[in-house]
Amino acid sequence: MNTAAARRTALPFSILVVAAVIFAAPLVVALLTSLKSPSEITRVIALPNELYFQNYAIAYDRMGRSFLNSIAITVPSVILSLLVGAISGYPLAYMRGAGGRAVYFFLLTGMIVPFQIVQIPLFFLIRSIGLYDSIPGMWLVHTAYSVPFCTFFMRNFFASVPRSMYEAALIDGCTPAGYFWRLLLPASGSGLAALAIIQSRAIWNDLLFAITLTTSDKATPVTATIAGFASSLQVEYGPLMAATLISLLPVMVTYLLFQKAFVRGLLGGAGK
Amino acid sequence: MPSFQFMRRKFQTAGMTHAIFLSLPVTLFAVFYVYPIISTFNLSLHSWDGFSPTPKYVGLQNYIVLAHQSRFYHAVLNNISWLVFLLLGPTSLGLLLAALLDRGMKGQSVFRVVFFLPFTIPAVAVAAIWRWMYEPTSGLLTTILQSIGLGSLAQNWLGDPSIVNFALMGSMLWWTTGFAFLVFFAGLRNIPVEYIEAARIEGATPWQVFWKVSFPLLWPSTIVVLGMAAVDAMRLFDIVWAMTNGGPAYASEVLATQMYDTAFGRFEMGRASAISVYLLVIAGLIIMPYIHQLAKRVQEAEAE
Repeated sequence: MNTAAARRTALPFSILVVAAVIFAAPLVVALLTSLKSPSEITRVIALPNELYFQNYAIAYDRMGRSFLNSIAITVPSVILSLLVGAISGYPLAYMRGAGGRAVYFFLLTGMIVPFQIVQIPLFFLIRSIGLYDSIPGMWLVHTAYSVPFCTFFMRNFFASVPRSMYEAALIDGCTPAGYFWRLLLPASGSGLAALAIIQSRAIWNDLLFAITLTTSDKATPVTATIAGFASSLQVEYGPLMAATLISLLPVMVTYLLFQKAFVRGLLGGAGK
Repeated sequence: MPSFQFMRRKFQTAGMTHAIFLSLPVTLFAVFYVYPIISTFNLSLHSWDGFSPTPKYVGLQNYIVLAHQSRFYHAVLNNISWLVFLLLGPTSLGLLLAALLDRGMKGQSVFRVVFFLPFTIPAVAVAAIWRWMYEPTSGLLTTILQSIGLGSLAQNWLGDPSIVNFALMGSMLWWTTGFAFLVFFAGLRNIPVEYIEAARIEGATPWQVFWKVSFPLLWPSTIVVLGMAAVDAMRLFDIVWAMTNGGPAYASEVLATQMYDTAFGRFEMGRASAISVYLLVIAGLIIMPYIHQLAKRVQEAEAE
């Protein structure tokens, strides 16, 4: 690189470094805090004298169960929401004319509705069918409220599959349903993977449905537990930071592992 | 070649299959969106504590009482400041970072991960971490101000009604900029290099290249980012609820947290329903232009 070019990138590069330090600082401080004993905790910038893992033991004690609940809620909800999204996106990608478009826009309005408008009746509905404070109740709710986005995403994905494949399969004697299950779905791995990552983030991170529809250890996910933890009167930041880091780890690791699919997915879903 | 009759039969079964497939999502939508929305409208005309067997019909009283409440107006204003902030803040910071990084910068993949990572974190985790950042005596912000001799500027960041909203917005900026950054970054990557080269040969400065060539071509990404920001501003709940619970003294309250408090803290279900109807109407007015854009794009795509 010649010096003129080096000089041209020097300023942008230093701005980026400063921004990166600011972006990383809260996570670094949280990590350091989670490893400090109560006597050291107020020295925010210093490194811990010795690693104090007691915080993680306390955190696990208070939130271990809800961490498992989060897994038990998220995994099936993601699978179900993908399935419903595909079932819904397939006809909408292939139907022509006003009918399909009307159903599509009808479902899409769900993407912009503030959930507060359904919150109270939902609470009573879930209670009346006996699914209040239960993990299957959370599956149902997460699947239902994923319908608009998953439909939007899968419809766009299926619409990018050449229509000639569909017509050729029908001529070869495939039924429309057979085409979906045997040809289209197995060929949609990349779209489903991207949607799975987006959905995992959305469902794992949910707080609103969690605090509205769960109340005990039986079904409360980790987000609701941490919210309670953080708003208690005497906050102990060591264990709180440990709990927080445990709670954000699954989605963060998933993102780092499947970075490419995630980026493609966000843009595929958002950009089309 | 299969006969015309044969193909027509095929596509008739296709119609049946499509209808059967669609019945599942449409049913879920009817049960979990349509029914509750109608039910909320109905409930907003009643007074009900959630326990007594019959809600009492009160007409438009809930709406009228709210319209005379300064607490309600304050939350509406907060939602509007959040809207302005979310449209401008994360969007412009994300655009700036993406534009700076889009120059074949060293360590590009590291920067990309660092800027995007906060977006993967749950809102409650963001709230917990930033409550610690904002801790008034030994939090990071106060500590840094003290160490550079500006300790007198340190504030009770989340406890002062005139500061709390800015503090919340700071943590929101940290959380959501990554999304705008990523969308813009990918948008910039998709711009053909020849366009940029051509402008450069014509003698345009990098500044001109960006505003005259790149930025107009980023319009699709910009629409996505602004649309999401508008939806988020209306839905805003998690960060506020987990960080301040709307306090101190309702200073940071938005409609969603006020509605939650009214319904599940005070058990005024009718009043809370009226708040959420107001919220729906405001959100509709603000987001309508975005829907219009989306609809236009789908029709254009089908016309192609």
